[in-house]
Amino acid sequence: MASIMRPGLLRQGLQSPAASQRMFSTITSSSIRQTSPLVQKLRPALARSAIPKSTRIAAFHATQRQQILPPLPQKIKGTLNDPTPIPDPAPVHGSYHWSFERLVAVGLVPLTLAPFAAGSLNPVMDSILCALLVVHSHIGFESCIIDYIPKPRIPVARSLAMWALRIGTITLGVALYSFETNDVGITEAVTRLWHA
Amino acid sequence: MAATRALARLATTRTALRPAVLSRGFASVTDTHARDPVSKTAEKIVPDPARKPTPESKTSTVKEPEPAKDAKIKSFHIYRWNPDEPTSKPRMQTYTLDLNKTGPMMLDALIRIKNEMDPTLTFRRSCREGICGSCAMNIDGVNTLACLCRIPTDTAKASRIYPLPHMFIVKDLVPDMTLFYKQYRSIKPYLQRDTPPPDGREYRQSKAERKKLDGLYECILCACCSTSCPSYWWNQEEYLGPAVLLQSYRWIADSRDEKKAERQDALNNSMSLYRCHTILNCSRTCPKGLNPALAIAEIKKSMAFT
Amino acid sequence: MSSQRVFQLGLRRAAAPRFRVQSAGRMMQRRWAATEHVNEQGAQDILAKQRLQRPVSPHLSIYKPQITWYASSLNRITGVMLSGGLYLFGIAYLAAPTLGWHLETPSMVAAVAAWPVWAKVTAKSVAAFPFFFHALNGIRHLTWDVGLGFKNKTVVQTGWTAVGLTMVCSAYYIFFG
Repeated sequence: MASIMRPGLLRQGLQSPAASQRMFSTITSSSIRQTSPLVQKLRPALARSAIPKSTRIAAFHATQRQQILPPLPQKIKGTLNDPTPIPDPAPVHGSYHWSFERLVAVGLVPLTLAPFAAGSLNPVMDSILCALLVVHSHIGFESCIIDYIPKPRIPVARSLAMWALRIGTITLGVALYSFETNDVGITEAVTRLWHA
Repeated sequence: MAATRALARLATTRTALRPAVLSRGFASVTDTHARDPVSKTAEKIVPDPARKPTPESKTSTVKEPEPAKDAKIKSFHIYRWNPDEPTSKPRMQTYTLDLNKTGPMMLDALIRIKNEMDPTLTFRRSCREGICGSCAMNIDGVNTLACLCRIPTDTAKASRIYPLPHMFIVKDLVPDMTLFYKQYRSIKPYLQRDTPPPDGREYRQSKAERKKLDGLYECILCACCSTSCPSYWWNQEEYLGPAVLLQSYRWIADSRDEKKAERQDALNNSMSLYRCHTILNCSRTCPKGLNPALAIAEIKKSMAFT
Repeated sequence: MSSQRVFQLGLRRAAAPRFRVQSAGRMMQRRWAATEHVNEQGAQDILAKQRLQRPVSPHLSIYKPQITWYASSLNRITGVMLSGGLYLFGIAYLAAPTLGWHLETPSMVAAVAAWPVWAKVTAKSVAAFPFFFHALNGIRHLTWDVGLGFKNKTVVQTGWTAVGLTMVCSAYYIFFG
């Protein structure tokens, strides 16, 4: 019954109606071919033959502002009835990673509070704080990279960023180790700098 | 060219063998300018999906047809994009409505615009009472259902209506939800069980077990929460988004379901679940008052240290 | 609906297909275009082509500023600032001997002590605001991770509390600490 009501049936018999009847319809090409000035104006900019072709394309390309990684045109793999692919379980990047991250963050809470109460930490606590800070920073930067540098789209940039981060983290680890062993320790240094 | 097209049309004209009433055809409009030779070349130029809409200051205003003396005129800036002009930029169209003649909800305003002012305005709507989730859109900066959103009576301030954020637009306020539904399908939103019910009749639940599903089963999949999530904006392809994760938890929390471990394994990677950074836009925006963020947190908790 | 009306409706529906053109109301929308049948694959191809043309609806620029996502993005920005500073310091500290810089605590303290007051206050603010915000908001995030404080009202309250405490703590430590 519903299919009888479909307007498609009506369309068949009425292929070239009078112009006045086209009021609510989408603009058809037959109406565009009659080149009255009004119709000319209604046409999309690209179809306007008055503009030379090279200008048309140049204008189109020049109007867009450059963005960092704008979205790509829509592409859908498979039909609506296919589910999106389910990735293989990888707890190291999933639940273990998350739990570890939380443990580090929870561990940082008392270690950042303590210096405010005690002035500065003893060397052992200070070293633990440094280690946790390194891990916490690394995980933080890593999640930024995962969020903003999508692997499927720019895999090279992603791996470059990841390696840069790893090198940076190792450098920081070495630097903090040397700071802890040769200098006064991070909490003491910050305290002294603050009161300088 | 025209002759071949006419021939082709003749060939596809419905015959007695294939009555139009019975065949479910994919109707495509033949003679629109999308098939012009000119726009054939335009078809090859893929327009930038991130093109910014033309602001309402540079577009025309469609005015209330016959404003009364004591009219309460309010402006609505509505996002428009017409797929028949594929390379064109979206634009913000202004409509002014007399609130005295308009129903109280945003959907009433939209329907009135469509009926009385501009029949080309396109949006999804169905139940007009917040149970179908069709009319989800971004109204005054917040994702909500147009049918559940009152029109602010402050006429000095214009309302802005956009489609759901960071979605591909089919036309005007209609986003393409294909990916969202495909993701929903990927979490297997149905009861998975191998063992038959103990009493041979039905799968029973205690009251406490049933209570766990409150706040989960009410979700109408309007996608307001998912499209309010910045994480989902940036990583739509891989991150499942709040709505789908809430649904996933609805089945993980279901005492009758026996595939809890498999469901959790499907989420246990860096992208599907753990792109959630507890931003909480999802819970803030849910028009049904559900809490997707809490559901995601419960999934994370149930998977922690395992 | 009375049975009579049902009968009438049925009659009307049965009669409908006989008329090809019905007089429609003024607001009836018609598309005066021919249609053709396309097979499944052809339809998919047309759809794929249409998809390429679609714009992405605006997002970041139009979403209402709310404490939820503003606090979250600020949390990330402040985290990047703090960790970035730490990384830069670490690299500079390792490079200092070869470059001839003095980044040992006593010499840094001596250098900072020579700064004018406004420079000290600026430097302290640049460090204090991000630090306190990230620390306090981090605690919010940890409570959410154990499943507490998810009510919309609570989220807003704790959010503004974190902002307020950040201001108070930062101001205290900048000027009195």
